[in-house]
Amino acid sequence: MGTILIVDDTLFMRTLLKNILFSGGHTIAGEATNGEEAVAKYKELKPDLVTMDVVMPKVNGIEALKSIKQLDPAARVIMCTAVGQEQMVKLAIKTGAKGYIVKPFQAPKVLEEVKNVLAT
Amino acid sequence: MKEVPLKIEYDGKWVVIKAGVGEDRISFPAPVDTEVLFKSVFNLEEKKNVLVITVKGNPDTIIRIASIEKVLIILKRLILTNCNAYRLMAYFMSPAIRGGVLAKNAQWEKGSIVVVKTGIWFVSAEKQICVPLTDVAAIELTKRDVQGKQTDVVRIDHVESGEVVSSLILCPLSTLQVLTNFLKDATKGINMTGNELDAVAQQVAMLVYSGMDSHAIENMLTIPHKQLDDIYDRIIKLGIAEVITIRREVQLTTKGVRYISDATKNQTNQN
Repeated sequence: MGTILIVDDTLFMRTLLKNILFSGGHTIAGEATNGEEAVAKYKELKPDLVTMDVVMPKVNGIEALKSIKQLDPAARVIMCTAVGQEQMVKLAIKTGAKGYIVKPFQAPKVLEEVKNVLAT
Repeated sequence: MKEVPLKIEYDGKWVVIKAGVGEDRISFPAPVDTEVLFKSVFNLEEKKNVLVITVKGNPDTIIRIASIEKVLIILKRLILTNCNAYRLMAYFMSPAIRGGVLAKNAQWEKGSIVVVKTGIWFVSAEKQICVPLTDVAAIELTKRDVQGKQTDVVRIDHVESGEVVSSLILCPLSTLQVLTNFLKDATKGINMTGNELDAVAQQVAMLVYSGMDSHAIENMLTIPHKQLDDIYDRIIKLGIAEVITIRREVQLTTKGVRYISDATKNQTNQN
């Protein structure tokens, strides 16, 4: 079980992820609605894991991932994006993402991925 | 012909025989006494280690056989290579995404795609995966990053043990277009225009997809039970959801209230 920062610009997706992660026994460290806020919250909360949407206003998920990895090279970040944008996978993995989930997702698989990444 | 041991359903019973398997045919000795040319097979299904072979004829013949995995793998390869089906050489990745999570170590495999009457087979030297057409949720011609290049692929989403699994097929664009049209035609009836559901109903469908129960959905969307029930009715009517459990909400009767009061009193006295 870990503390998790959820980063997504839509309330719906944040609420869904919160529910899924909470049902898996994880603690929600906090939420952010864009990349800039994500980096600030990461510094403040030092979560065990971040779920990061890719397409967001202001600073996108890839840029936020870069900043977080600069702050903490051991940061565990799972990228989260819509079907059809999986081409971002390589870029995200190259940037240091530990995992990748594609919307729409199913709760058991998300929890499995979170568990795997937390174990790294 | 090589002899292989297998069980075959004959007269409603499973009979153990040694079938003769050749490059283009399989022959079943007595009591079945039948020879099947692979090119006359137009459907192949796999149900819990049982191969169901449908042979063209008047009427068509359905043969059910079971055997050890090694034998079934050989039979499937021979049938799928020679049967009467839509077949193309392609690269495929199956599964590529499972439940929204990219499959670990997923890679492109060289093989063939065989579309039979009731399913799509992904066949390579290592794998023989069957996706029944009734389990196909979506077919889309899309683009993927393949070795750094944006490349046309066909994505097939299918439901497998309650999980949504995506598989990808890669071959020349003209073939992909033919395949997409063929598969869309074979699975027509699953397409929706997207206008059937309003925003809240779409969110409900998304939450059901993600595995949320009614209670969680009501809380997340802050909608009353009656509204959720109406949305369920609509999505069930559209054929995009089905009822799996009817859960009851109850309240205590006077007798129940008395029972709880007494039980609490007894507990208090004991303490």
